[in-house]
Amino acid sequence: MLSLLTVALFIFFGLKNSAFFNADFVIYPLIRDAATLSVIGLAQLCALSIGHLNLAVGRMAAVSALAAGAAYQYLHVSLLLGLFMGLFVGASLGALTGWIIVKSQVNAFIVTLAMDFALLGFVTYIYVTFTGATTAFTTKPAGMEFWRNTSWHQYCVAGVCGPKIFPMMLVPAIIAIAVIGFIFSKTRLGRELLSTGSNLRAAKLSGIPVDRRVITAHLMSGLLAGLAGIMLAFTNGSFTAAIGSQFMLPSFLGPVLGGTLLAGGSVAVLGTFIGTLLTLIIRQGLSVQGIGLETLNIALGLVLLTALSLGQIQKMFTAIRMRGRT
Amino acid sequence: MTELSLTIIFIVGFLALVSTSQGVLLSRASLQGFLTYLAVPIVIGMAQMVVLCIGQMNLAVGAMGGVSTAIMATQMADHKVSIPVALLVGFLGATAMGAINGALVVLTQLNGFIITLGTMTILLGVQYRLVRTFTIDKYPTSLPDFGKKNIVGFPLILVIAIATSVVLSMYFSRTGSGRRVLATGGNALAARLSGVSNSRSVFIAHTLSGALVGVAAIITIASLPGINRSIGGDWMLSSFSAPIIGGVLMAGGTVAVYGTVIAAGVIRLVDIARAQYSLDPSIVSLTVGVVVLSTVALSEWRRRRTVRQNEGRKVLPA
Repeated sequence: MLSLLTVALFIFFGLKNSAFFNADFVIYPLIRDAATLSVIGLAQLCALSIGHLNLAVGRMAAVSALAAGAAYQYLHVSLLLGLFMGLFVGASLGALTGWIIVKSQVNAFIVTLAMDFALLGFVTYIYVTFTGATTAFTTKPAGMEFWRNTSWHQYCVAGVCGPKIFPMMLVPAIIAIAVIGFIFSKTRLGRELLSTGSNLRAAKLSGIPVDRRVITAHLMSGLLAGLAGIMLAFTNGSFTAAIGSQFMLPSFLGPVLGGTLLAGGSVAVLGTFIGTLLTLIIRQGLSVQGIGLETLNIALGLVLLTALSLGQIQKMFTAIRMRGRT
Repeated sequence: MTELSLTIIFIVGFLALVSTSQGVLLSRASLQGFLTYLAVPIVIGMAQMVVLCIGQMNLAVGAMGGVSTAIMATQMADHKVSIPVALLVGFLGATAMGAINGALVVLTQLNGFIITLGTMTILLGVQYRLVRTFTIDKYPTSLPDFGKKNIVGFPLILVIAIATSVVLSMYFSRTGSGRRVLATGGNALAARLSGVSNSRSVFIAHTLSGALVGVAAIITIASLPGINRSIGGDWMLSSFSAPIIGGVLMAGGTVAVYGTVIAAGVIRLVDIARAQYSLDPSIVSLTVGVVVLSTVALSEWRRRRTVRQNEGRKVLPA
C-alpha cells in the first residue's frame, strides 16, 4: 500500500515535470539522502520498539560525526577506523542515555530532550574551541570521495553493471536495514525488545531483563544515529555542528509512515526505508515544481498528521469490527 | 524547597554578577535590559508548564509564537490594522493553534509530542510564508514605545508577564477547572473515575498553552524593533528548562508557577554572565542542558527516597 503510493507519486511527479527523472541531479541525490535518513529513521525505530522516543538522535549524530572528524583531523586515522571510533562514541552516548532512563525512571522523552540540550551546547562549544572561525573539521580521509560521489555503476559483474542511480551510500544503509531487520525478526534479542515495548510488566514477569533491554535499545539507537551523522558528514564533505540539526522530523516520518507503532511493540524496518523514500519524493517532487521551502514544510507536517490520523482511524475500525464479532 | 533554593541561587548569582561587574549591572540601562528580556522566558516557560502538567509536551511553542508575531506584524504593516486589533488577532490566532493541538491530541489519542511535532513543521512553513526573508518593522512607533514603558521602575512588559503568572497561579489553585486539569495530569484513571473529563482537561491545557504563547508574542513584538523569521527559533530550550528547573514534575500533576518564574530569572543570569565574561553562546545551552538533566535525576532520586522512607514507616506509598 505504502510502496504503491510511493511508486505512484514518483511516476506522477515525473510525468508532471520530466526534470524529476534526471538521474544525476535528482534521483541520485534523492536516493543518497534516503539512505542517510533511513538510517536515522532506524535509530528512532530502535527507541520506538520499546515504546520510548529518542529526541537526541540529531545531536547524537552530531557528536559521532564530531568524534570521527576529530579522529581524521588530529589522529590521521584511516576512514574505517575513524568510522568505528565515531560509531563507538554514538553507541556509548546511547547506552548512557538508556542507563540514565533506567536508573532515574524518568520518562525517556525528557531524558533524551535534556541530553539533546546538553549535547547541543557541547558540540558547538567543541567546534568553536578547536577549529575557531571555520567551525568544521575539514580533513578528508582517503576514500571519502569514493563514498560521496560514486555509484554502483562502477561495479560490473560478468559484463552487467550496477545502475547509475544507486549511490555507494546505499551500501551502509542496506547493511543497517538488513542487520536491524534480522535482529527484530529472527533473534531472541529482537523479540525481547518488542515484548518490552508492548507490555513492560508482562515482559518482566516472563523473565526478560527489561532494564538491560532498555539500555540495549538506546545503545542501538545511538549507534545508528552516529552512523547516519557520519554518512551525512561524508555526503557534505565536512564535519560541522549543523550535522543532525535537521534529523528530528525525518527520524519520525520514516518509521511512522512505515507502520512502526509509537506505543512500542511493533516495528517496520523495511517500511522505514519506504516511508523515508516517500517523504523525500514528496519533498523533491514539490521542489522540482519550483515550490518553496515553506510549502514543503507545510506538506510534510500534513503528511505526518494525516498518516497518524489514518493509523488511528484504522485502529478504531478494527476495534468496532472486533466488538461486532463478540 | 526547590523554589527557596532557586530564590537563594538567584539572589547570590545576581549579587555575584553585580560585584564582579563593578556595579555596571545596577546601572539603569543594563538593569532595564535584564528585566525586559526576562519577560518572554517567563511566559513561554508557563506555556510549556501547562502542557507538562498533564504529562505532555508542546514542541510547537516557538513556531506558534513565530506565526503569532508574524500575524500581528503583517496585519499592522500590510493591512494598516490598528495596534490593539492586530495584537488581539495574533493572540486569538495563537490560542486557536493551541486549541487545534488539543483537539488533534484528543481526537487521535496520540501523545502530544508527535502531534505538536507535526503542527510545528506546518507552522514553521506558515511563518516563512508570512515573513519570507524580510524584517517587518513598518508599524506605528507607539508599539515599541509601549514596550519601553515603565511602571514604578519596572518594565511594563515584565509587569504583564508577572501578572499573567499570578492569574495562572490563581487558576490552578482556586478554580475547579484548574484542579481538574491537574487531576488528569496526576492520575488520568483516578480522574476519570471521579468524574473528570480527561479529554476536556487535555484540550484546556493545550488551548491555555496557546493563549500563553499569544501573550509571549505580544511581549516579543512590543520589545523588539522588528519581526523576522527567526522569532521563536530559540524558544524551545528555555520553554522546557524554566519549568523543569522550577520543579514541575515531568510525570504531570503539578505546576510550579513561582518556580518557573524564578528559574527563568536564573537562566537569564547565566545568559548575562556569558555576555559579561564574553563566553561562547553555546556554553549557555551546555550549562542549562546539564542543569536540566541533573535536576530531573535529582528530583526522581528524592521522590524515590521519600517513597522508601514511607515504606519504612509502614505507610503505603502514594
